[in-house]
Amino acid sequence: MSGKEEFLSKSERTTCWSSRDYYWECLRSNNEEAAKCTDLRKIYESSCPAQWVKHFDRKFNYLKFKEKMETEGYEPLNNI
Amino acid sequence: MSFGPRRFFQRFQINTISKLNFSNVSGGPTTPSELPKRKNLITGKGGPITWKTAGITGILGAGMVTYLLYLKEEQEEKQRKERKRQLGKANIGGPFELVNGSNNIVKSEQFLGQWMLIYFGFSHCPDICPDELEKMALVIEKLEKEEANTGIQGIFITVDPDRDTPQIVDKYIKEFSSKFIGLSGTSDQIQQVCKKYRVYYSPGKKDVDNDYIVDHTIIMYLVNPEGEFIDYFGQNKTASEIVDHILLHMFKFKQEKESLLKNSLGKLNFLSEKKIATS
Repeated sequence: MSGKEEFLSKSERTTCWSSRDYYWECLRSNNEEAAKCTDLRKIYESSCPAQWVKHFDRKFNYLKFKEKMETEGYEPLNNI
Repeated sequence: MSFGPRRFFQRFQINTISKLNFSNVSGGPTTPSELPKRKNLITGKGGPITWKTAGITGILGAGMVTYLLYLKEEQEEKQRKERKRQLGKANIGGPFELVNGSNNIVKSEQFLGQWMLIYFGFSHCPDICPDELEKMALVIEKLEKEEANTGIQGIFITVDPDRDTPQIVDKYIKEFSSKFIGLSGTSDQIQQVCKKYRVYYSPGKKDVDNDYIVDHTIIMYLVNPEGEFIDYFGQNKTASEIVDHILLHMFKFKQEKESLLKNSLGKLNFLSEKKIATS
């Protein structure tokens, strides 16, 4: 979806979020192999503004990082 | 509260007794050994009426003095409370002037007399603002069902005045609740209100479509009917937690007002009683 002057309506937002969630679910169940989720990615990109896609992609990585921190704990910096 | 009058009564008694003791001693401070002597003096002098009048005068005088002391002490306590309140009050919030969807100027003074729950955001916000605004709508909805609710207005202020015209903000916010008021304004107006509420906001880089995301503080602000900032709620607070906090603040506010009224009424009562007693 290209950026438009006005904001997304409630239903457009919901559509965008659910397409994102489908894509994320696909990524998680396929060991994050993006190649296996290209169709869902296309739907996701067409239902969300480009800025939002960028924002959600970053968020996906952040959430992954957060989850890792919470489940595995962190590695001290000097060990790296 | 029954605490005030009772404490006063105790003080009254103590002061009266001490005053009586002093007024009847013919010299030197009161010591236990002098007490019987003084008693003899009273009964020894055969003028009960003079002593009685003296006693009454003493009691009345003592009462008067006690009352003055009581007034003075209360005044001091009020000042102490005021000082404490001012010290403890955060320097957040204050008056603002913005524009609503009908292009009318909206001043914060217009909301005096009701509580305000304010959220700052922007209409192109990808996920956090909608989540928080849904939460705010739920909070207001839940509060409306509560008897203790004394009236609250949900307000949304944009941090993206370039794109969010007053009309766009109005349209955006009405999707969350028809009761919300959406406000925008000039960049200066927005900057001023954000500065007052310590809201950080920074527009990100524009992409090819000229689209951008505004990074901003995610906080809901609670303002009391006197226009003072009272509390804030971050993203981690749930709707029901926020409702509980707001109800508590409403209760405390109401109680404070009532006790202030009661105190002044009590003083008036006391004065009139005093008049009746002396006349």
